[in-house]
Amino acid sequence: MANEDVQRTLEELSRDLQESKARLEEAQRIAHVGHYYWNLIANRVLWSDELYRIYGLSPQKGPIDMAMVREMIHPEDREFVFRTAEEALHSEARPNIEHRVVRPDGEVRIVHAMGTVKRDASGRPYEMFGAVQDITDRKRAEETLQQTQVYLREGQRLAHMGSWAFNDSGHYWAEELYQIFGLNPENGAPTIEQYLALIHPQDRASVSETIQIMYQQHCGFDITKRIVRPDGQMRYVRCVANPVVEQGVFKGFLGTAIDVTEQEILTQELRRERAYLTEAQSLAHLGSWACNLVTQKIFHSSEENARLYGFDPREEAIPFDRFYNTILTEDEPALRAKLENAIRTGADYDVEFRIQRTDGAIRFMRGIGHHNPSQEDGEYLGITIDITERKRAEEAREKLRQLEADLAHMNRVNMMGELAAALAHEIKQPITAAVTNAGACLRFLEMERPDILEAREAASGTIGCATRAAEIIDRVRALFKKTAPQREAVNVNELIREIALLLQNEIRRHSVAVHLGLAENLPEVMADRVQLQQVLMNLMLNAIEAMQGVSAHLEINSQQTDDGQLLIAVSDTGLGLPTARAEQIFDAFFTTKPQGTGMGLAISRSIVESHGGRLWASSNSGRGATFRFTLPYEESLRT
Amino acid sequence: MTTQAGATVFIVDDDADVRLSIQRLLKTVGLRAELFATAQDFLRRNIPDAPSCLVLDVRLPEVGGLEVQHKLAAAGINIPIIFVTAHGDIPMSVKAMKSGAVEFLTKPFRDQDLLDAIQQALQRDQLARRQQSEIAELHERHKSLTAREREVMELMVSGMQTKQIASALGTSEVTAAVHRGNVMRKMHAGTPAELGSMVERLRLSSNR
Repeated sequence: MANEDVQRTLEELSRDLQESKARLEEAQRIAHVGHYYWNLIANRVLWSDELYRIYGLSPQKGPIDMAMVREMIHPEDREFVFRTAEEALHSEARPNIEHRVVRPDGEVRIVHAMGTVKRDASGRPYEMFGAVQDITDRKRAEETLQQTQVYLREGQRLAHMGSWAFNDSGHYWAEELYQIFGLNPENGAPTIEQYLALIHPQDRASVSETIQIMYQQHCGFDITKRIVRPDGQMRYVRCVANPVVEQGVFKGFLGTAIDVTEQEILTQELRRERAYLTEAQSLAHLGSWACNLVTQKIFHSSEENARLYGFDPREEAIPFDRFYNTILTEDEPALRAKLENAIRTGADYDVEFRIQRTDGAIRFMRGIGHHNPSQEDGEYLGITIDITERKRAEEAREKLRQLEADLAHMNRVNMMGELAAALAHEIKQPITAAVTNAGACLRFLEMERPDILEAREAASGTIGCATRAAEIIDRVRALFKKTAPQREAVNVNELIREIALLLQNEIRRHSVAVHLGLAENLPEVMADRVQLQQVLMNLMLNAIEAMQGVSAHLEINSQQTDDGQLLIAVSDTGLGLPTARAEQIFDAFFTTKPQGTGMGLAISRSIVESHGGRLWASSNSGRGATFRFTLPYEESLRT
Repeated sequence: MTTQAGATVFIVDDDADVRLSIQRLLKTVGLRAELFATAQDFLRRNIPDAPSCLVLDVRLPEVGGLEVQHKLAAAGINIPIIFVTAHGDIPMSVKAMKSGAVEFLTKPFRDQDLLDAIQQALQRDQLARRQQSEIAELHERHKSLTAREREVMELMVSGMQTKQIASALGTSEVTAAVHRGNVMRKMHAGTPAELGSMVERLRLSSNR
């Protein structure tokens, strides 16, 4: 019986043991906990199944190879793990560490390892027993939480925003809030009184009132106020508070404070800039705008822009039509054509047009539009400038210029006439005397008894007077020579344009079509500017006068010849040269015109020749004549 | 061509050659010339009581030719003027001729044209002088009349017969006839018509 009992008891015990071992293993699997024995005498290690699984291995019977265990511990932790085990053998300490394990598939797990050392009676250690728990998931969750908190803190710091809460459990201030107010977190959140002391004196009363209302009525707020930090620095802070109500019961407040100093300063600066811009636009009579010319939607129109068109800038959103309808009817088609062309090609435009304001005033406007290619078709931004004053000044200037040109022309014409008259008078005196002396001489000889003595005196008187006439002419020429040599570098093309402009009245009056065919980059000639002007004016006036009553076409060409000269040609479609007397036209006093002095061409030729050039005329193959003259530029530049 | 012995031609021209050549030309027809370079010089000269004329340049320094003409007329000097100019225009010559100029010549002129003009001017001067002396003589004769004789002369010129004159004056017809005879004698009048012409000339000259 005893043996049977013992046997049965043993079997029961064995079954119990098996059961409890199975339960243990089950428990270990659920808790991710494994255990080990380390026989220090035989240096053999036994692992539970779960420990194998923690290390990513299949459970096996029999001892595990220590070298393999060592390999699987994370290289950075390996030394620390074994040193801790070593220390445990020589001291009373129980190993209790966390370290990483690298599973064969490369996954890293974090484990919590504990152990206890068993010793014999002499105190010599013979076994280490311990448990290992896989804490990877818990660790990761902890890290994530930590990270989130860091992010939150960092976020608040970056946003200069701190949160706060105020409820039954107390008064909470986020770390950033202390930073914003320049306070030390160690001193804790300030009291209401301390808080109000930090508010800028000018804002303090209103903030105090807001807080009172907040407590009395349990309502939130959103205010921006100035604070003065303990170090004296002023900041703008925006505070937002919201009451917390849970199931109808007021629990306290939750809020944020944001340092908006930078934004506030920027906003103020923007506001100022905008004021400056408005002022500048008003001073310059310049308005800015942005709109889509196709959809006729206006995105932006500055105050001055509205004012330029005679609208009240306080009016909101003046539609496109109202702007467009101010344009003068006669200017509208040309303007529309230009805008449509610009829109079609996506080009910029620069236009001038007139508008009539509602008060009746007509103003000249200039519109410059810049196509915005990144946007829709027809999107333009640009400016409108009131150029009325400029236009009027231009008109006045143009009138003045015309007047001056007319005067200059009249002066020239008058001067020629005066000069001719003076010259005529001077020369007629000795000629009269010479003729009269000659007459007397003849009469003395024709007498019944010729008076030879008197006749001789009269004849010598004639000679004297004729000589005097010649001297007068020489004197006049000398007079001209004295004022002549005023040589400077002259751009002949410029001169031609100048004279063409000067003669605009004549050109208009006689309906002459003028064509300038001027070669570019002509070298300058050393010449008397005024004299060359005279030549050009003479030739052009002659041409214009020769074309009266015929289809008038005046052409002036300039070119450079191979032999270092400029060749200027003035062609007309007039009456042409008098046949058989083509060369005579250059003689002094030769004229075909009723009012002509007959000096123009003679003087012109003399001027051209004094510059080393030639002046000649030829009949055109069709109608009219061409006058050409040359001016050597190389020679004249050397002198 | 007739030449007036003792006639003088005054030449005013600022050009010496012109002055001398004209003087020389006048010499060929035996005319005496007096030369002046300026108008002022000429105006200072007393015009002699002898036939004369003036060759005057229009354009002169300071006092011009047309102004000289004006000044002479204002002073009652009726010397015939021939204008010469190197620079004449039509308005200027019209003005000169209207003011009584004999001729307006532009320089250089034909010698014959000048001589013809001078001849014409001297003849005109001669005529004017003769008329002037006749009027002076008439004034002398008129002065020799008594007051009653002047009254009778006025009535005679108005066409009254002796009888009418007597009744108008309240005298006898005989007395009127005596006055009438005296008037005819003192005035050197041959016929009543001649007397009428004389009275007309007296009236015209004293009106001037």
